[in-house]
Amino acid sequence: MQRDRRAKLKDAMDAQGVDALVLLGNSNVSYATGASWPLADPGRANFDRPVAVVAADDEHPHLFTAFADLVAPDLSLPEDHLHRPAYLEFDEGAEAFCRDLAEIVGNDARVAIDELPGSMRRVNSSFFSEAGIASADEVVGAAKLVKTSDELGFLRTGLLITEKAIAPVQAALAPGVREVDLTACFLRGVFDLGAEANILDPIFQVMPRRLADGPWTTHGDIACPLPTTERELELDDVLWVDTGISYVGFASDFGRTWIVGSQPTVRQHAQFRAWREIIGAVLEVTCPGATGADLTRAALAASDGRKPWMEHFYLAHGLGIESAEPPFIGTDLGEGYDERQVLVPGMVVVLEPLVWDDGAAGYRSEEVVVITEDGWASLTDYPYDPYAD
Amino acid sequence: MPTEILADGLELRDARRARAFAAMEADDIDVLLLGREANARYFAGAQRLWTAGTRPFGPGCVVVRQSGAVHLVSTWDEGVPGDIPHENLFGITWNPGNLLAWLRGIDGVTEARRIGTDSLTPRFAQLLPKLFPAAEFVDAEPSLESARRVKTPEEVEAIRSAICVAESALATAISELRPGVSERHLTAAFMEAIARQGVTTPGAQRVAWVSSPARFERRNWTEPIGDKDLVAFDAAVVAAGYSAEVGRTWPSSPAAVDKSTRALYRKADDLLHRLLDACQPGASCGDLLEAYRSGGELLPPFPIATGLGLGFDLPVVTGHLPRTADEECLVPGMVLALTAYAVGEGSNGALRNDALFRNDAAFRNDAAFRNDAAFRSDVVFIKEAVLITDGAPTVLTSSPQWRP
Repeated sequence: MQRDRRAKLKDAMDAQGVDALVLLGNSNVSYATGASWPLADPGRANFDRPVAVVAADDEHPHLFTAFADLVAPDLSLPEDHLHRPAYLEFDEGAEAFCRDLAEIVGNDARVAIDELPGSMRRVNSSFFSEAGIASADEVVGAAKLVKTSDELGFLRTGLLITEKAIAPVQAALAPGVREVDLTACFLRGVFDLGAEANILDPIFQVMPRRLADGPWTTHGDIACPLPTTERELELDDVLWVDTGISYVGFASDFGRTWIVGSQPTVRQHAQFRAWREIIGAVLEVTCPGATGADLTRAALAASDGRKPWMEHFYLAHGLGIESAEPPFIGTDLGEGYDERQVLVPGMVVVLEPLVWDDGAAGYRSEEVVVITEDGWASLTDYPYDPYAD
Repeated sequence: MPTEILADGLELRDARRARAFAAMEADDIDVLLLGREANARYFAGAQRLWTAGTRPFGPGCVVVRQSGAVHLVSTWDEGVPGDIPHENLFGITWNPGNLLAWLRGIDGVTEARRIGTDSLTPRFAQLLPKLFPAAEFVDAEPSLESARRVKTPEEVEAIRSAICVAESALATAISELRPGVSERHLTAAFMEAIARQGVTTPGAQRVAWVSSPARFERRNWTEPIGDKDLVAFDAAVVAAGYSAEVGRTWPSSPAAVDKSTRALYRKADDLLHRLLDACQPGASCGDLLEAYRSGGELLPPFPIATGLGLGFDLPVVTGHLPRTADEECLVPGMVLALTAYAVGEGSNGALRNDALFRNDAAFRNDAAFRNDAAFRSDVVFIKEAVLITDGAPTVLTSSPQWRP
């Protein structure tokens, strides 16, 4: 897997005229080195993060970390590629790191970086002049777009862990159960089943029947996702569920609609059928060469021209080392952007259309598919219960 | 945790904002463009969705000193305090053009002489000066860190509440420790326990690790814990935005603890007391490093003290940043996660010429760490949350430690 990634990174670096990458973002480091670890709260992650340096002419990445026994036990990195931790939030740490960097890549290397904390800008280094430093996000972004077969295997396992852990959560749904109890059951399950980390405060959102009963929003559309509370579930509550974990550095994503303690009404079944029609129409055009705009047009046509996804999100997003990564389809980047997103085999896409039926809430689920040579293949098979065609 | 999504309380918000605006004034910063959740929450007091890991910089919170206005990227007002009016909210966007247009439309931003950011990406480092050519861009993180590092009384209360959750869940996890269970199982027990108490966001997600030499032979954290293993628990939660951390080390079977391990527990206790003695107001953080050296203890490869608060707070004390430690003073109102990390003399009593940590080869030129490449041994790890006061420090954590 790392050999494939290494080749893709090298191609992307060459294409963008970059000699070396300095990576601070957790997922970028994980991609470039193969290291993975249980992710911390963003605050703590800012100062104890591993840092990677990738030189174009070196087959191994360099890794700077205090937790090599944890993040890098099986990476087979040469000893001189494992370094003391880089504390880039501190001038002293940034100075030491820049000295090491100069030793690794030389003084004239064209360096791309993904983040510039203040200390890195203050330290007198020719690498980090603010004018014109290249973005390493764009290099890694180009490399990670298409998944290798190894990567797909890990993604499948992460998705499977998530689905196995969510089944007892759904079984526990009942009036009087608190939202946080669902989280407790889910977290216990994912760790017992082999998750590396929980990557999102799991969403178990009770949806209002009418938009007007929900929170105020900037666009007048649905407010979602909202954090869980200790609110007790009530009979007939409609829950929108959205959650994900990480496994060996890969994110999973899960989305379904559940009903508390009762079966769907005729109207709710109709919502589900409408959703099936939309997802069917989108999958119908999902194949290599299709653009994001092909997908959004199919979704719009299947829902009478009414946008069947959240105004502030998207119809679809990529899944891989991050729970939402390119390609993004149906965002406020606009139709021209969607036209330029071309599907290719090996991309993993999460489709998340919804049907809103004001007065009776709505239906939303997520489908995770990989683009294949002749179309797509589903990466998940969790049932839609209690809804049925 | 309540049954509604609540913003932070008024007293907490007011006290924090007063400090933060004073810091802006002192450093002559007109406008802040904040990407880090801790800084955004410090000003806004809003609860937004938690995700794990680092996040790329994007200006999700804008603060204008002259008007005192706080603007926030949030598509809804749920969890947003009432003193941030709807017109100051901007919906989630994927389009940098829309984001920049929003920034430009905020009263007081285009006129700003000095604009502070708490980090940058190469892309924003190029875009922002073009958008606001009259402004000087400065790193605001030091100002914000100086405001955040001393806690208000309301913040100390918030940390105490978070500690209660962490300690109760730690007790649950320890109660499940026995030979044959895995580190991962103990982590699962901890995660379930915090959520049952209404806190669904951990601070760190490797809650238990074998701290015996056996750890060097372990391939992953699903393997059963042995009957002679020591297990270190690193319990961290984020409750209402505030971090709590507590660490303890327990033997998997107390009956199997030998004489040298009992001595190691006493050594860890002594080290902890030396560290607490060094937690005097006005003392240098270098004194904490000295507490290790004076007892002949090896420094761990990670920080021995970190600030607790919203997110990442000063000080961060590690042997890798000795100058930073010497320059930083302990101030009443700081809350530290203080770590005593005691290394035994090796299971066979002899120094061994291999690495304590697998990356120690990389420390070969690093004088502070040359020694800890010396031997493999048991480790006893204790972490306490400590409030610096005008006198002796107050230890906020009270989880039981195993006693020989």
